[in-house]
Amino acid sequence: MTPPTQPVAGMIRPVPMPPDSQTNRDLLAVMKGTSAGYWFLLGLSLFFMHLAGGIWIWQVYKGLGIAGYAHPIFWGVYIVTFVFWVGIAHAGTLISAILFLFRAKWRNAINRGAEAMTVFAVLTAAQFLGIHVGRIWKSYFILPYPNQRGLWVNFKSPLLWDTFAISTYATISILFLFVGLIPDIAIARDRATGWKKVLYTVLALGWVGSSSQWKAHNRSVLHLSGLATPLVLSVHSVVSWDFAMALVPGWHTTIFAPYFVAGAIFSGFAMVLTLMIPVRRIFGLEAYITDYHFENMARFILLTSTICGYAYMSEYFISWYSGVEAEQTAFWLRAFGPYWISTWVMIIFNTVLPQLLWFKKLRVNVPFLFVLSVLINIGMWFERYVIIITALSREYNPAVWGEFIPSWPEMGILAGSFGFFCTFFLIFLKLFPVVAIAEMKEIAIHEKAHGAQGTH
Amino acid sequence: MARLVGIFELPAQVAAAVKQLRGRGYTDIETYAPAPFPEVDDAVHPKPSKVRLLTLIGGLTGVVTGYAMTIWMSNNWQIMLGGKPFASIPPYTIIAFELTILFGGVLTVLGLFIFGGLPKFKIDPAYSARFSAEDFGVVVRCREQDVAEIDALLREHDATEVNLVES
Amino acid sequence: MPEIDRRNFLKLVGVSAGAAAASGCSDPVQKLIPYVVQPEVITPGIAVIYASTCQECPAGCGLHVRTREGRPIKLEGNPDHPVNRGALCARGQASIGRTYLPDRYPGPLKRQADGGWAPISWEDAYALVAKKIAAVGDRTHVLGGSVGPTLSGLIDQWVAAVGAGGRTVYEPFDYTALKEASRSVFGIASRPRFDLSQADFVMDFGSDFLESWTSPVEHGRQFAAARRVDQEAGGARLVYVGPRLTLTAGNSDEWLPAKPGTEGVLALGIARAALDAARDSGAEVPDADQLRGILSGFGENAVSTITEVPAATIRRLGKAMLAARQPVALPPGVALTSRRATATTAAVLILNAVVGAIGKSVFVVPDGSATDQVASYREVAQLVQRMKAGSVSLLLIHDTNPVYSMPGDSGFAEALEKVDFVISTASGPDETSERADLILPDHTPMESWGDHAPRPGVRSLIQPTIRPLHDSRAFGDTLIESARAMGDATAAQLPSGSFRTILEQAWSDTDFRAALAAGGVFGKEAASGAVTLAPGISSLSFTEPRFEGDGSFVLLPVPSPLLSDGRGANLPWLQETPDPVMKVTWQSWAEISHTAAEALGAEYGDVLAVRTSVGVVELPVVPRGGIRDDVIAIAIGQGHDVGFYASRVEDGKLGGTRGVNVISILPALTDESGGRAWLTARAAVRATGAHRRVAKTQEFDNKRGRQLGEAVSLAALAAGDEAAEASNAAAAYSEEQAGAHADEHGGAHGDGQGGSHEIRKPYDPTHDSTDESPYRWGMTIDLDRCNGCSACIVACSIENNVPTVGEELVLLDRQMQWLRIERYIGDGFQELVTGRNAPTDHEVLGNTDVRHSPMLCQQCGAAPCEPVCPVFATYHNPEGLNGMIYNRCIGTRYCSNNCPYKVRRYNWFDYAIENVHEPMHLLLNPDVTVRGQGVMEKCTFCIQRIEGGRQIAKDGNRPIADGEVTPACAQTCPTQAITFGNLKDDASAAVKQADAGGARAYHALHMLNTRPSITYLAKVRRGTEGTEG
Repeated sequence: MTPPTQPVAGMIRPVPMPPDSQTNRDLLAVMKGTSAGYWFLLGLSLFFMHLAGGIWIWQVYKGLGIAGYAHPIFWGVYIVTFVFWVGIAHAGTLISAILFLFRAKWRNAINRGAEAMTVFAVLTAAQFLGIHVGRIWKSYFILPYPNQRGLWVNFKSPLLWDTFAISTYATISILFLFVGLIPDIAIARDRATGWKKVLYTVLALGWVGSSSQWKAHNRSVLHLSGLATPLVLSVHSVVSWDFAMALVPGWHTTIFAPYFVAGAIFSGFAMVLTLMIPVRRIFGLEAYITDYHFENMARFILLTSTICGYAYMSEYFISWYSGVEAEQTAFWLRAFGPYWISTWVMIIFNTVLPQLLWFKKLRVNVPFLFVLSVLINIGMWFERYVIIITALSREYNPAVWGEFIPSWPEMGILAGSFGFFCTFFLIFLKLFPVVAIAEMKEIAIHEKAHGAQGTH
Repeated sequence: MARLVGIFELPAQVAAAVKQLRGRGYTDIETYAPAPFPEVDDAVHPKPSKVRLLTLIGGLTGVVTGYAMTIWMSNNWQIMLGGKPFASIPPYTIIAFELTILFGGVLTVLGLFIFGGLPKFKIDPAYSARFSAEDFGVVVRCREQDVAEIDALLREHDATEVNLVES
Repeated sequence: MPEIDRRNFLKLVGVSAGAAAASGCSDPVQKLIPYVVQPEVITPGIAVIYASTCQECPAGCGLHVRTREGRPIKLEGNPDHPVNRGALCARGQASIGRTYLPDRYPGPLKRQADGGWAPISWEDAYALVAKKIAAVGDRTHVLGGSVGPTLSGLIDQWVAAVGAGGRTVYEPFDYTALKEASRSVFGIASRPRFDLSQADFVMDFGSDFLESWTSPVEHGRQFAAARRVDQEAGGARLVYVGPRLTLTAGNSDEWLPAKPGTEGVLALGIARAALDAARDSGAEVPDADQLRGILSGFGENAVSTITEVPAATIRRLGKAMLAARQPVALPPGVALTSRRATATTAAVLILNAVVGAIGKSVFVVPDGSATDQVASYREVAQLVQRMKAGSVSLLLIHDTNPVYSMPGDSGFAEALEKVDFVISTASGPDETSERADLILPDHTPMESWGDHAPRPGVRSLIQPTIRPLHDSRAFGDTLIESARAMGDATAAQLPSGSFRTILEQAWSDTDFRAALAAGGVFGKEAASGAVTLAPGISSLSFTEPRFEGDGSFVLLPVPSPLLSDGRGANLPWLQETPDPVMKVTWQSWAEISHTAAEALGAEYGDVLAVRTSVGVVELPVVPRGGIRDDVIAIAIGQGHDVGFYASRVEDGKLGGTRGVNVISILPALTDESGGRAWLTARAAVRATGAHRRVAKTQEFDNKRGRQLGEAVSLAALAAGDEAAEASNAAAAYSEEQAGAHADEHGGAHGDGQGGSHEIRKPYDPTHDSTDESPYRWGMTIDLDRCNGCSACIVACSIENNVPTVGEELVLLDRQMQWLRIERYIGDGFQELVTGRNAPTDHEVLGNTDVRHSPMLCQQCGAAPCEPVCPVFATYHNPEGLNGMIYNRCIGTRYCSNNCPYKVRRYNWFDYAIENVHEPMHLLLNPDVTVRGQGVMEKCTFCIQRIEGGRQIAKDGNRPIADGEVTPACAQTCPTQAITFGNLKDDASAAVKQADAGGARAYHALHMLNTRPSITYLAKVRRGTEGTEG
């Protein structure tokens, strides 16, 4: 409809546009400008990513034999790394979903970073399913698609559960990340210029923060959290069943599901620390990501580490208590056999060192937390190595006990997985706000409101 | 008709203003907020969002699909494996569960799009970048003669400014 | 070209399936070309079987050559042949590969001035030979291995015709000592024949009759028959004398690690003890007085000090042998032929005489077998001398490789340099032919005519089963043609026609065609006349042998059960099949005791330098408990630097030496009667400090009380099934709890009878709604019969196109064999070894509790591998087999992780293309898919044979009869340890044998309840009197 023919007298008192809010300026600053260091890191990551790509093509051409597999150890570094990344992928959803349901406000500072980490980690992990199979060019057989053979797939196989769990998890965490991002992209859109403007306009989907949008948004986030919470618990349970469903001594235990989930959250939190500590330092986000956040993370790590420790102990206890000679042998050799180093690395890094976090001094000591988080990541990789390799190398049939030594190609692909992960995380840092701006404002405005009431 | 936009700083003020406007019979109201504030949203839309309905539908579809697909496929061509039943429910529960989550999640996001009116590429002229900073906005459509009254009302609720935008 | 309808097309697919599959995806389109004129005997897709004779060793086992579309693809024993009765050893199975070896000579070759080879036409070659012979006349000599009677006769005629200087028949493993001992003891110069089938007490003085001595397949069968546990006293006893735990020793009931070289003294000691026992009991012994005279100096104490065997044991064994219904004592084999071999062997024959074995299980008859022409080593040495002296100008070498197999200091190689013109008829390169001036390649046995006379009354034929792949000619024809080239005068002295016609004339006394079909003429064994002790006997002196050189070790050269005297080294299957005892492949290794190893400061894989008076070799050490501290054992057969598989690829090209040739450090010595002596050298050993990884396929021999390779003591078994099970079960579980060392009474704690029946059901019927199948295929494997010879491994590999992967990949445990033989020592709860690549062995000197357990896919009813495959690549077929769909496999390898038996193999690389070298692909079995890169594979009980049987049964409109289908492993087993059959048919042999097994029946890893279709029967530990377990 047309504007009023004549202005209504004395009603229009326009004031100049106020300066942009502090929060926006601080948090959008992260996305502006790229230092030499950034390019170096990105270059490094890209290098390893492409190195791994090359190795992988060679492997497809030549055969899986270029990896260190030795009968009867038919799963090696690839599956170890797959489980490792799936584990990493758990912290994000946990922080966003579970802590959201618990209304733990301190999550707001770190959930965006954690969610991004989740998405990239799960994508990294998914690749290893492909890298590990012998005939990647036939791997579509695993999908239940109608075919002229009239042959479906075996839903009894844990690997199929895997396929469904991982793809579901990837989808849900991408949706979760995106839904959370929409309002922030809108913020960026309102302030961006050039191609970024176009990009954000498209991605923001025309978000304006109207009440109906916020209402739907709130509800969606709530429901997504409700759905993601059981999902995050199920995914690593399913992964653990890849092993627990087999009758391999050292795999065939009922404790695996909770054990793996705890381990996943444990490693996930460690990885969040490993990523967010440098990010906070480099981009000066101390005002938003405070030691208080890190301390809470540390508490979580302490808890989950203790659960892992308990799982380790109960594994050994049960193997002894079961009276099954094969189990006893497997675990004895796990601790004192050819792989004792891996085992003790895992025990010390994952269960002994984190106990230091009982001291508040150390919980708020950021450099210490950083070092610890890196060690925990190493320890957790070795945990999977120990579980998979030692169990397979000392099975029921002593005549074919074997030994596994990782080969250079597969270690290269392992390095490449970090390259892939970091590449995408670094790009994400520059394209999207790594801290959830809207949620920060929510807090800021609440505080302002209380202040206002105080003055009134 | 005319459209007024009032700029606020605090959600409580917005909520109060909106309530009073509705009380006076001005129902064509929209608010813009930099962050989610239930009090504001509920003031404009008292009824809970219908997104939950879609989540439910998605979840149910998922669980049904999960069981139906697995059981039908295993009986469509029966293959013996390790002396197990052709269709065994416990493992299929895992598939059903994953599909429940998957479908539920997707439909939830679909719900966000439908009920949040997304995507939308023609942006309301009343919207301004300040609403993605830290200001709140209340947009009211009214007849010219009511402009004065609404203006006063908004200011009475501590609107920092009130503008007339083309509708 | 006739149009092809579907049926024909399918048949024709079979024709080129092998080739197509072998070349696989990397090759251009394969064409299917039908027979335009179809040979009458060949129906594409149907195997044609020819009878022939194995040429791998003088034993002369009968063959059935299975050919498809004109290609021999598998060898099987001829069931009617009296020597092997349908069975074959590993070497026999592998010998089919000789025809398809990639490095065979393409045709006649002539040495050039620059040392290289140039092709030459046969005519020119014959002319050249004629010219040379004419020039040198009687300075011509023929040196060759032992061949069949007809060819041998022709050679002699040729030698006479061309006026050559002479002929020497050379076999590295001669049996001169046996012949000469027989001469001096009985006055009859021939190899006595030993028949174990009726024996109830076998005293083996190191003959190793189950692995390398005279006729292993025949002796294996006879011994298994004699040992059947359901006979009185639980079957025959075997006492083994020798310094090393060989395969035979591992099958014995008592092992006396006597001082090497003193076997003869021990034999006399036992004879003396028997004689005394006879006197006490008043038993009748012929020639007692004469014998007492000979044995006077051999009282048990004197003997005990010499042999290091307790006097009590000697006395006990003497009593036992005298008391035995049909005892037999076997003389030393190659490894123990010392410089006193004749005396030692004579001593053993005397023992046989004392205990009355002569005429019962030892037959002394004038022997017409080919080996009688074999020259003693002394004669061969004389030839070498003449060659050195330059009095041999032209040497024709056939069927032998003396450059490799002559002792290090015999100087044969140098002597060969002195010979102006050397002709070799080798069909492929070996160390000797590479030094020749002219190569006139012979056919391989698969391509040749010929005959063989293993022993009196047994004549068998050799017939070609494939058109020669290369431009080679039968040795016989070469002789005739060269003679003709020398002119009619010479030719006239030889029979006219080709060698084949000569053969037919030689067999004119029989129906040749019938003989061809039957594989030969198998008459009655010649009966042995009564024999009496010869006067020459008193001239024997039974002193200890002297050893050459100094050093703390006695060097024991062991004839390899697989490579024999080295002739097997170029056959990939024999290289890749683990040594039955040490489980090492593709390499040489040295065996010393743990104590000795510690003294040397050498650990597993450390390289030792072994120095004798002749030379030094360096090879990795594998310390073990089952060998005397003063002995170092090295297997004969490796150390070739010629041959596609026998040698190694070194810096990019063939010609590197694979392993070491122990013969090269042996002094050229003989025994008293001129036979070749092997046990002659002392060795000084030191650790070089270098280390080499050993391609050992089994590194742990301790089964830790798990239900694998079970054994039960005769006592427990006799006490009744329940008792046996109870005691075994109790033993097993208490041990599991305590983790204590297993006592002698471990054993068949499977679930015994009832359980076995329940478990032998195909799969739980309540879970099965599709199976109307009358079949549930299964096996019964009797560990008491399995002696570990490993023939089944090679048979399986060739039948199922299982590729060999080579040394480097075996080092990564990537070998592909579907069937392996696990070797366990006792039940064992020994401490766990915690190091990397540190194999343990729990052999103890004198302990013979060795279990050989063939491990193949168990075709479980509740197969753990099946449910975990996401794509149904492995599934359960209606007949209870655990099917494997190669084309569906995506290679997640979950199935193998979940297989407790670890019998699945994975194609890490594209072996089918990379490891099958032309023309080896012609050997591929067209009935079996060739697996590509990235797929899992495993045993399916030779399902192609089951399907073949089904077709035949279908034509007869009847179910498959029991015994109609036999997997390759069961077919070739010399002891019939493996029985295959339908478990749903209670009358089938497999079920009957399992039931007969009683308490011995168990299922591997039964505690996992995988419901395997294979029932194992535990080995029986008999013990001898006084050593009952």
